[in-house]
Amino acid sequence: MKKKLMSVLLAGTMVLSLAACGETAADTTTPSDNTEAQTETQSADTTETAAATSEVAGTQEAVRLLNGKPEINDQMQALAAKYLEETGNVLTVETIGGDTNASDELKKMYQADNMPDIFVIEANQAANWDGMLADLSGEEWTNKTGFELVDSTMGTIGFPYTVEATALGYNADILAKAGIDPSTLTSPDAWKAACETLDSKKDELGITAVFGWCAEPTNLGWSSGTHVFGQYLDAGLKADDTTYIDLLNDGGKIDEARMKKFAEFIGMMNQYSDPALLVDGTYDNQVAGFKEGKYVFITQGNWCVTSPADVNFECGFAPYAFEDGINTIIAGPPSYWVAYSNGNVEGAKAFFNWCAGDSAQNILVNDAGLVSPFDDCQYEAVNPFYKSMNSYITAGNYSGWHTMLKKDGLQNETCNVFADYAKGKLDADGFVSTMAQVISAYYAQ
Amino acid sequence: MHTKEKTSSVVIRLVIAVIVAIYVLFPFFLLLINSGKVTADITANPVSFAGASFSQLLENIKAVINDPNFLFWSSFGSSALITVISLVLLSLFGAMAAWVICRNKTVWSTVIYFTFIASMIIPFQVVMLPLISTFRDVGKFIGIPMLQSVPGIVFAYLGFGGAMTVFILTGFIKGVPFDLEEAASIDGCSPEQTFFQIIFPLLTPVITTVTILNGMWIWNDYLLPSMMLGQNGKVMTIPIAIQKFVGSYVKSWDRILPAALLAIIPMIIIFLIAQKQIMEGMIEGAVKG
Amino acid sequence: MSTFSIGRKASSFICLIAGIVLTIVGLGLSIAGTGNVFRGAMFVCGILLFFIGLYLFPTLKHHRSIINFIFLFPLLFAFLVTVIIPLFLGIGYSFTDWDGIRLKSFVGFSNYARMFKQPAFLWSTLLTFLFVVFNMILVNLVAFLLALLCTSKIKGLGFFRAAYFLPNLIGGIVLGYIWQFIFSNVVTKFSGTYSMLSDTNTAFIAIIIVYIWQYAGYIMLIYITGLNTIPGDVLEASAIDGANKVQTLFNIKLPMIAPTITICTFLTLTSAFKQFDVNLALTNGKGSVQFLGNYIANGTEMLALNIYTTAVINNDYALGQAKAVLFFIILAAVSIIQVRISNKKEVEL
Repeated sequence: MKKKLMSVLLAGTMVLSLAACGETAADTTTPSDNTEAQTETQSADTTETAAATSEVAGTQEAVRLLNGKPEINDQMQALAAKYLEETGNVLTVETIGGDTNASDELKKMYQADNMPDIFVIEANQAANWDGMLADLSGEEWTNKTGFELVDSTMGTIGFPYTVEATALGYNADILAKAGIDPSTLTSPDAWKAACETLDSKKDELGITAVFGWCAEPTNLGWSSGTHVFGQYLDAGLKADDTTYIDLLNDGGKIDEARMKKFAEFIGMMNQYSDPALLVDGTYDNQVAGFKEGKYVFITQGNWCVTSPADVNFECGFAPYAFEDGINTIIAGPPSYWVAYSNGNVEGAKAFFNWCAGDSAQNILVNDAGLVSPFDDCQYEAVNPFYKSMNSYITAGNYSGWHTMLKKDGLQNETCNVFADYAKGKLDADGFVSTMAQVISAYYAQ
Repeated sequence: MHTKEKTSSVVIRLVIAVIVAIYVLFPFFLLLINSGKVTADITANPVSFAGASFSQLLENIKAVINDPNFLFWSSFGSSALITVISLVLLSLFGAMAAWVICRNKTVWSTVIYFTFIASMIIPFQVVMLPLISTFRDVGKFIGIPMLQSVPGIVFAYLGFGGAMTVFILTGFIKGVPFDLEEAASIDGCSPEQTFFQIIFPLLTPVITTVTILNGMWIWNDYLLPSMMLGQNGKVMTIPIAIQKFVGSYVKSWDRILPAALLAIIPMIIIFLIAQKQIMEGMIEGAVKG
Repeated sequence: MSTFSIGRKASSFICLIAGIVLTIVGLGLSIAGTGNVFRGAMFVCGILLFFIGLYLFPTLKHHRSIINFIFLFPLLFAFLVTVIIPLFLGIGYSFTDWDGIRLKSFVGFSNYARMFKQPAFLWSTLLTFLFVVFNMILVNLVAFLLALLCTSKIKGLGFFRAAYFLPNLIGGIVLGYIWQFIFSNVVTKFSGTYSMLSDTNTAFIAIIIVYIWQYAGYIMLIYITGLNTIPGDVLEASAIDGANKVQTLFNIKLPMIAPTITICTFLTLTSAFKQFDVNLALTNGKGSVQFLGNYIANGTEMLALNIYTTAVINNDYALGQAKAVLFFIILAAVSIIQVRISNKKEVEL
């Protein structure tokens, strides 16, 4: 009898453990659609607060946004809260941090059927999502900007959330102290002279090096391989001039003469850069060094210093003048928000229209330090680089972000060439020939 | 060993042992002291105590735990939940399967046994891509999300851990005298009673071994969860959270190092408690595996 | 026990029938594509009920078989779904243009042909073999020496053993980042140059160092076990015969732990071959190298990582899968050869 009881008990526990396992499965089962399940469970808590804080009833289903800028994550959360407060609609912001960049992670999310409704892409990645992005043409916000991303087959697909500029950011105070007028830096010779002057006055100016330039490939490959490389493609060209990107995309061809001059300019940067930063530095060290006044120039863009409180000096941009007369910086939206056509397109459209409006721009411009792409935005960007950036844009001296149109993934190859050049494994000619070889091999794949 | 060894050689050996120990433990030491510093001190003096303080350590840990990208408690909880459920089920189902395989000398059980053994050579890479697509499609079809869900990944661990578990358990059960079961059966025990009352309790030592082996694997595993859960899924495990946390934009060691510290502390504590069992378990697993 | 109560019979049949019905309805709803939210729960409950019904099934003759089935099913089912089916699917996919989701056509061996035309893949394969060879030798050597150290008479043996084993507890991702910190922030302080991880050659050495650090303690434990199985009287006899330490080592100890050596080489071989986490966390495959007249950007990318990058990052699922199949074949072949050789040696000795 006792044995029988035991066996019943044991069988019972066995069944229970099975059932428990089944239950966990059943729990997560309830919402049928996977994407829906995501948003529903994630927004569950937020909806409760919605009832308390928002008087407006939401008209749209929750929207998931994948943000590719970890540095503005907090502001994006504030944006979501504001959106909820004003419209009653839920926006869930997820941020991609880490070594995985957004585009890599999105591919995995797509495989896992876990796509967000809105996500970030660079212009050349539109092809990866062919037929999967919603056409946003005719939306209200498109009348207020000239920066939207238009694809030949999918229509207006990209919402510009920021305008960014990149060139050689400078510390105007140090330049003034050294007696260098940044507006004269429009030829290789002028640059060389300026570097020599600055380098000789290092101690006097309290700087570690002239350039805060980092060619570390593993984590900063996007900086050298995309941004700095972009100067080869666009520096000195008008915004709609696609000469070198067209050449590049024609099977990976480069203009060797131009590349040689570019290489010599990079060689000068290598020479006058902080050796502790050049080969194995990090973004943090690079930016921190610039903010502390250790470097006169930085090879980043306006995103690296977002708030006037970060710096106690004036900032500006100088062109990569590797040829005489180059006087442009690269400006425009480097990436866009797009709506996934199988996702909540209506919700995404509603969010975009709201996001182009006043309260959202207030957060993005004043808190996140972004530069608004919208004509009617009343906020003057607080970004310390804005004044300089704006002077280039109004004078028409800006080039496009055509580097975003190169074959996806090329930066992961070319960044190594920059690194080898920085390490001294290549000279300027070696840089040019290796670049040519790497690029044509990548395009041939 | 009757000969008295020269003291000098003993001393030399001791010195070597100490040097190796310092080399082996040095990374842990660096991890600990640098977790208690601010970034500036970490970059300036990574090897010295300068700037390290216990209060800063707590501060950094607090910052890591509260970081919205790391979601420490949630990922720690998921890791623990996934590991524990997988271990319980693997041990239970593994023992059940091993017992049947061992005590049933049919063609089928032999085939199953050798399939399990042969499968141990299969690298995860060869099944990982179809696995994701199968799980995605099955999940969609039947309405049970298999990706980004705890049940899904537990199920996967059952499948991947099954072979080794069954292999080790079968080896042990073979050594359990069959007389015990015969006697039980004569006493009127049904097969399931025999298993749960007589065999299962006897398996405790080998279940410990299996649990240790599987536990270390599952807790530390990165590739399987990164494929199945993704970096932005609902469920994150500790290794994924760390990987997500280590930013290309924000390589702040004053966050990454405390995060790494938090990730390894549970393992270290368990090791300190069950050092003997873990070391023996690992040896046994290797010798049998 | 010979008869069954009505209650048991009834509950058995009810469970069986309800289980089958629920399962079929759940499946039917799925096939119909209704998107019904309970279909998954129905399916799972149905199967559970079916098993309860089966368990209670009033038979003495087949009860043992039923139990066997119930006991085997959970693990076997999981194993089939997660290992066997994906394995065959994967082999199949490697002959198609599969993109991870859709499959348009059969392409024969073109994926296999394509991968051998990729210098980066060839380099990756070569690098993996180099890594495996270096590791097999170095880890075993270090581990064996440590084992000799840890079986000799010194104080604090327990502490040393535990300390040497400790790194093995830590997952590859976490220790990869700890070591990345050490290489880029600590070692550079002393070397005065840039990080070891920035250069392909030194990065490769760095990966090996980390790997030995992680793995040698574990292998050492196995060698200790092996050394401890050598009977004391054998050693004594050799000492009486006047054998010196080196002679004892080569003539007695090494031959007697041949099986242990087999196990350890096998372990280091397969684990080094499959190395992924440390590779990802330390260098993510970066580093340039000139190979066969090509400039390769991912100079430290080993096979496992190359497969992952090909499929997941470069979105070439079919090619990645073909590489994975080749990886599997190499691993299987190497393992079989290795076991053969070791077995032969053991017999000879």
